[in-house]
Order: sequence, then structure tokens, then C-alpha cells
Amino acid sequence: MPYPGIDRRRVLAAAALGRTVNPPAPAVGREQALHAVSGTIVDVSPHMIVLETADGGEARLVVAPWVTAWRGGVLAPADLPVGARAIVRAVREGTVAERIWADVTRITGKILSITAEGSPGGKPKDQIVELDCGPHRGRRTVVVPYRASGRLRVRHPQFDPGYLFDAIGVREGGVSYAYLPATSQPAYRAGLAPPPPPAYGGTQSRISGTATWSDSFDDDERGAAYPMVEQEDVGCDESGKSCVGLPYLALGSMLVVHNVCTGRSEDVQIVACGCVSGGFCDRCVECGTSPRGRIAELAPASFVELGGDLIKGCFNVRIGVG
Amino acid sequence: MIAVSQLPVVALLLTVGALAKVVTVRRRAEPGGMSQLGPAALVPARWRSPVLVCCALVELVLAAGLIATAHVFFRWATIAFFAMSTYVLWELRRRRPDVGCGCFGDVSATPVERRSLARTTVLTAMSVGLLWLNEPGWWLFVNLSWFMVFSAVGGMALLAVCSPEIEETVARLRYRAPCERRPLPASSALARLRSSTAWRTHKEMLSSEEPTDSWRELCWRFFSYRGRTPTGEAVDVVFAVYLSGRKPPIKVAVVGMDGGEIVTATAPDTVPVTV
Repeated sequence: MPYPGIDRRRVLAAAALGRTVNPPAPAVGREQALHAVSGTIVDVSPHMIVLETADGGEARLVVAPWVTAWRGGVLAPADLPVGARAIVRAVREGTVAERIWADVTRITGKILSITAEGSPGGKPKDQIVELDCGPHRGRRTVVVPYRASGRLRVRHPQFDPGYLFDAIGVREGGVSYAYLPATSQPAYRAGLAPPPPPAYGGTQSRISGTATWSDSFDDDERGAAYPMVEQEDVGCDESGKSCVGLPYLALGSMLVVHNVCTGRSEDVQIVACGCVSGGFCDRCVECGTSPRGRIAELAPASFVELGGDLIKGCFNVRIGVG
Repeated sequence: MIAVSQLPVVALLLTVGALAKVVTVRRRAEPGGMSQLGPAALVPARWRSPVLVCCALVELVLAAGLIATAHVFFRWATIAFFAMSTYVLWELRRRRPDVGCGCFGDVSATPVERRSLARTTVLTAMSVGLLWLNEPGWWLFVNLSWFMVFSAVGGMALLAVCSPEIEETVARLRYRAPCERRPLPASSALARLRSSTAWRTHKEMLSSEEPTDSWRELCWRFFSYRGRTPTGEAVDVVFAVYLSGRKPPIKVAVVGMDGGEIVTATAPDTVPVTV
């Protein structure tokens, strides 16, 4: 997913403008720092979880007694299957697990087709939904299990081709199952998001909105996808659109992301084009009601380290440019 | 005579309206671009561009017909067109009070109000007055009199009072979106760069005139080139072009390949980056 040479851009831009290049600052806040540890579960017990990380290393984390895990539903950490992909929110320098999500996936895109029972891979009354996840992520097929369809349909009243879909679920055996709605579906068709408010006068020094996450990032990758990048810079006709008045930035630029709900802040580098998130003009109600519009789509690790809950799917955010 | 003097006014408005619609269709061709403009808002998304183009064509044909011929068909067609427009605007105001009339493309994005309705009513009345003219429209220009000029100016003033677009245009000219929120093509920044002193000073260092990388951050467009110093050291030469203003500042730096150490910097003064 990362584009080559974007780290070099920061160095060159800083040299040209006489700025200093600061490395990404760690998360700061009132509470202790959070760490996201990702990997494949090698061993799990009520008191310990062992992960094989992407670089081939091993991460051993103590599981506190109050920790819960999620894998399509809340369960005890010891019930997680060995071999599942897990992301752990950890404290104390990444040694104590605080929350575990296993095989979690997020499916965001435009509905292309919905097929009912009898489809390959689906049980009777399950629905197979084909999605267009944008020019960078291609198409995905997701199974909406019958038992989850009511909950999803409540938040997706326009369950028809051409409308937006955003759900959280589990990836199992190469198949994605949607279990929870990640947002209240926008009422408009995909591509018909309202334009940003007119920018009369000066720009804002801080911009508020909502931050979400996406599973299209690599396991241990930190960063964000940002919608307002020039189309010719990323070769994407759908970028540069947002219902928030966002400034143009580039891959490699730094965002200061502040989680309004937890008070945590972190410098996050833009590593991808967020054209899909630019099409959503929704709100986050994680803590109060956020202004409309998705400002950044974070990598799961960044989202977790900022205090976000992957199952809730978003947090209210305020950004500045680093 | 007052009534027939309004023919140039009617023809001018038809022509300007048609051109503005065509420009809007070309600029906002993407889905959703015309969802806030009437009468496009009243039809399904795929019909919006054809409807606006069709409307523009009708306006152009009517304007040409009024000027070139004295045929009564064009006079009656103009009356029918403006009468129908009044009805469409009335319907638009009732069904979609949030959208603009689209009379002059995206400049007419403010919601339909009484003034817009009054304008089409006045235009309908002006069109009715043209029935008393037995000559083609160009005849008026040949036999121009001061009375006709004053009548036409009076008609224009009446329409201007009924036009919310004028206030919108003034507001757009006075309050432009800040530079960092405006899409600005890289090609114009590159043209500015190549006509700058910074470019001429560093041109000989560059291995190629095509940038290896180009990106935009806020109101700056960066161009990065591979190059060599006089001592033969491989470097990156980066230019930063400010995207606003008639004589934008252009910064340049020569950066070594090893860890981004700056070898020379010709522009220590910096312009603060605002967000």
C-alpha cells in the first residue's frame, strides 16, 4: 500500500522551506501510552497470548483478567483460535494486553450487487454483497449472515446497488463476514456527497470531523489515508473530494490527529489516497456528535494507539497539519 | 417601442444562460456535480447533463431566431419557453426548496426565491412585447435610437434587480476559497518554475528536465529533480513553488542523497505555511 519515496518528500520539502524534519511523535495524552501489537496467534491461555508478528518475531503479552476479546462477538481471550490474525491494544510498553480483536475486518465501499440465498459460499438466507472498494482496493465480496442482516439493515436502509456500505466483521477462511454496521448509511448514492461549505475568509487552524479505520493497510503499518490529495499526484480521479473543507496535502505529509474522545494525539503520516472515505459525509457519535465528514482513514495500529475501538469504527477527531 | 426594445435584452440573456449552462456541464461532469441545480435536480442523475445541454441548445436557437428572423414561431416559442421556466421554477421551489434555479449554471446555486420567479415573469412579459415587432432583431441594431437604448438599459436594470446571481458573483469575487483548498494544476506551477531565476540558476545541475517527483502540500507545489553538484556528488534538487499570487515565491534546495543532509540552501528565508 505505501507509495515509494514518500518519506523522502518530507526531507525535501523541509529543506526547500527551511523547516526541520521531526520524526513522528508518540501518542500523548493524559493516560499512559497505548501500543498496537499485531500478529498471528501462536498460543493463547487465560493469562498469556503469544503472537507471531509480521517480521517473524514473537510477542508475548500478559492478559489481564478483565480483558475481553472480539471475534464476531465478545468472547474470553482463551477462546480465541490459534492461527487467527489478532491486533492487541497493549499498555506498559506493549507487554500487557488490554483489548484483543481477532480476524477483524472492515468492508467499506459502494454496493454493486446483492445476491440472496443459494450463492456460492453462502448458507441459505445469507446475502452475498459485492462491493466496489475504490480504485486502489478493487472489488470485494462480503457475506451478510442472516442473523446479522437485521442489525445491518437498520443502519443501511438503502440496501441497494449504488449506495454506500460500511460494516465491520470477521475474515475467516478467505471470506469476509459482516456483523456490525460501522456507520449510519448516508442517504445519498455513492459519488453524490454534498460539496464542502464555501470557504469565505481564512482557513481554520484545526479541522474537526470523524476518523475511521481500514484494513487495507499492512499489519504493522502506521499511517492514514487522506481524501484531499491532488488527482494528478496519486493518479486517482476520485481523490480531492470531501464534504469537509480540507486543505490539499500529499502522500508523506504529517497530520496531527487528536482523538477528541480520549484526549490522545499522535502525528500520523499520510500514506495512501483516501478517496473512499471522501465519499462518506457521515458523523461519528462516539463521544457527542462530530461534524460531518471523514477526515482521515487510519491504519488499524494507528487507530488503536489513539484509543479507538475497532468495533465502534470511528472516533471524533480534530486535526492539524504537522 | 419600449416593448420591442427589449429584444436585445432577451436575446442577450438567452445567450449568456446557454453559455453558462454549457460551461457548468463541462466543469461539473462528475456524478453529483449538478445535483443542486434546477431543473437538473428534478430528473434522475443520468439525465442531468443532457437536460442542461438541451436547455442550452433551445436557448441558443431562440436567441439566434429572434435576432436573425422575424418569424413569429420564434416569438411564440420564446414566450412559451419563459412561461414554462416560470412554472418549472415554481415547481422547483415547492419540491426542492434547497436547490438553485441553474438559470446561469452553477452561479445560480442559491435556492429559488421570489426574485428568480419575478425575473422569469418579467422575461415572459418582455417576450410578449416582442410580438409587436414586425422586423428581425438585427433591424433594431441598424436603426438604433437613444430611446431604444434607454429602454433596453431600463429592462436590464429591472432584470438585474431580480437577479440573485449578481450578489453571488460579487461574493465569489470578493471571498475566494483559500489557496490550500483550491485545485491548482501542476502544469501552471511548472511553467512558473521554468520562467524563474531559481530554475535558471540550478538548471545546469539537473540530470533531466523532467521531475522525478512532484507533489502538492497546502499552497506549495514541489518538484524534485535528480542532479549532480560541480564536484560530481549525486543530489536531489527540490523546487517549491507557491501557488498563489502573480509573482509567487520560489524556493530551492539541494539535498544530498545520504540521509537528506542539505548541501546548499539558496533560500533561507521562508514563507510561513498556514492551514
